[in-house]
Amino acid sequence: MRKIILIFALFLTIGCFSQNKQILYNFTSVPQSLLTNPGSDVKYNWYFGIPLLSGISTNVGSSGFSAYDLFADNGVDFNVKLRNVVFSTTRKDRMAINEQIELFNGGFKIAGEQGDSYVSFGMYQEFDFMSYVPKDIAILVLDGNRDYLGKVFNLGDLNLKAEMLSVFHLGFHKKINEKLILGARGKIYSSIYNVNSTNNSGYIYTIPSTQGVYEQMIYSDLQFNTSGVAKYDDEDYDPNVVKDITKRAFLGGNLGLGFDAGLTYYPKKNIQFTASVIDLGFIKHTNEVESLTFKGTYKYEGVIPKFSSGNSAEDGFQEFKDAVPLDTLYADYTTWRPTKLNTSIQFSFEEEVSEDCNCLNYDPETTYKSAVGAQLFIMSTPRTPLVAFTTYYRRKIFNSLQMKATYTIDSYSYKNIGLGLSSMLGPVNFYILADNLLEYRDVTKANSLSFQLGLNVIFKDSKK
Amino acid sequence: MMQLRTIHRILSVLILILFSFSCASDLDYNQVNDIKLQPVIISNLAYFDVEANQFVTGGVEQNVIFDAPTVDVFSEKFFTEKLNRIDLFFEINNTINRSYRIDLVFLDRNNQPVHSSNFFVPAYSGAENIVTKTETFQNASLDLLKRTIKITFRLTMLAGPPLSESSVGNLKLRSGVTAYFVVE
Repeated sequence: MRKIILIFALFLTIGCFSQNKQILYNFTSVPQSLLTNPGSDVKYNWYFGIPLLSGISTNVGSSGFSAYDLFADNGVDFNVKLRNVVFSTTRKDRMAINEQIELFNGGFKIAGEQGDSYVSFGMYQEFDFMSYVPKDIAILVLDGNRDYLGKVFNLGDLNLKAEMLSVFHLGFHKKINEKLILGARGKIYSSIYNVNSTNNSGYIYTIPSTQGVYEQMIYSDLQFNTSGVAKYDDEDYDPNVVKDITKRAFLGGNLGLGFDAGLTYYPKKNIQFTASVIDLGFIKHTNEVESLTFKGTYKYEGVIPKFSSGNSAEDGFQEFKDAVPLDTLYADYTTWRPTKLNTSIQFSFEEEVSEDCNCLNYDPETTYKSAVGAQLFIMSTPRTPLVAFTTYYRRKIFNSLQMKATYTIDSYSYKNIGLGLSSMLGPVNFYILADNLLEYRDVTKANSLSFQLGLNVIFKDSKK
Repeated sequence: MMQLRTIHRILSVLILILFSFSCASDLDYNQVNDIKLQPVIISNLAYFDVEANQFVTGGVEQNVIFDAPTVDVFSEKFFTEKLNRIDLFFEINNTINRSYRIDLVFLDRNNQPVHSSNFFVPAYSGAENIVTKTETFQNASLDLLKRTIKITFRLTMLAGPPLSESSVGNLKLRSGVTAYFVVE
């Protein structure tokens, strides 16, 4: 039990935002794979997810340091650990959390003469947090500037965003011919709250000078946008968080539109190529918007007596506050969803020969027991895109148990081994997918962990 | 049914293996309360550069020149609350052929002196002529210094060869502050 609490605490306290669902992607025995590629080659007649239990997915990660590095109960002074973490990371290291829970999800097949079509729809709630390590700012806070004469502290290191939103989606896919399936999904985003500060720049430096002791300069172009949180700052406001969240989740929040598209293509019977683009979309923040800006340039020279008549009025700090003012704006702003690109190629082998009449799951197409493949995942981030490369082995252990094992290389880890199992017990589909299995030796030292699990009810063709 | 049982078994064994090999080191999040930040900030305090001819007006020597600029940095609560120590550094470079006395008096809001820094600067005789001084403030002296809202600068020219409006040389002061913060 304690372990579970610890794992949970870990998920809450550190941030993987890869959002790379490398095990789920193209794992078509799980209906949720349609959310990673609307053009997935699924073969069910209809399905629905058990409400709230159909898709639970969590992804936490932190490149550069782990919870253990910071919070280990090992007698080392916390300040020493904090310094070690700050000085061993770079501004490219990031912490992230992504969490999704499906409220409902379903889909059905529309048989067509030229090829079947498929409709899927649902709603899920998502939480995203991502922050780069604000290294230079952390050094300033830890050490100050005395030992860093000549160093230019980069204020652009401050780069973070957090968002909770609900997503309503409706997808359609069509088998164009025996070789090609195309799919698309429209999405409406309803943002519950958003905090983002991703386009910052600026610097602070102190260098020796001949006029004055130092030449000291700050240039700041910082902006911190929020929507849906400003009123909680108001002391007079008596918040009803549950009511607010419910209202905003059901299209009462700041709205946005998005689009997914994908395809599956079989150049040969046993070779499959897939590609998808997910969350190509934006949210326009217009309600309860509040932004803080800290913009300006100031050179601090200290007090300069003029020795002319009268007293010089030098208000250094006031001058600074006027030159680099902290302003509050109420202007609308737009955020872009992190867009994800997936692509895969798969070679299938071990053609399945029906030993007995497989009347329940009869499929006129050739099926294969095993497959190997490779996947590439790219996601947009406020800086360089995140790239992950996965190779996998997929195997049908029984008719009702499918397995996918993955090996992934990304910026968090080069030894990420994942395993997914999807079982069919009657019409009930249960799946559990987890990656970074090696890290389970000590979860507190893990840089990244993710898992997805859920329950669906699936009916396959039984009429033929 | 056979198959269902087998699947069940495989799944439970796998989950069991995952969690029995899994482990979690002890973490202590309360350590956050032990945080102690000790940044050291350096900055300018004051600067002036007075030319020799500024001590002469209409052919008559001005033996005392004076200014009292406001300094609001020390009185900013944000800066002073966590302040543990302050070092003031002064460097005076005189290239005028006269000696000076420089008096800096730090005044509080009632114009009462809380600290003064005094310097004797020898006349320039061709060789480098630099006077430096570092003053450290902690505890009681720091508390006094934090009340500063104004610094008076009084430059007194001492006796020596007369200056004219065409005399050369400068009297320069550069001053920096090193502030030691402790945030717990």
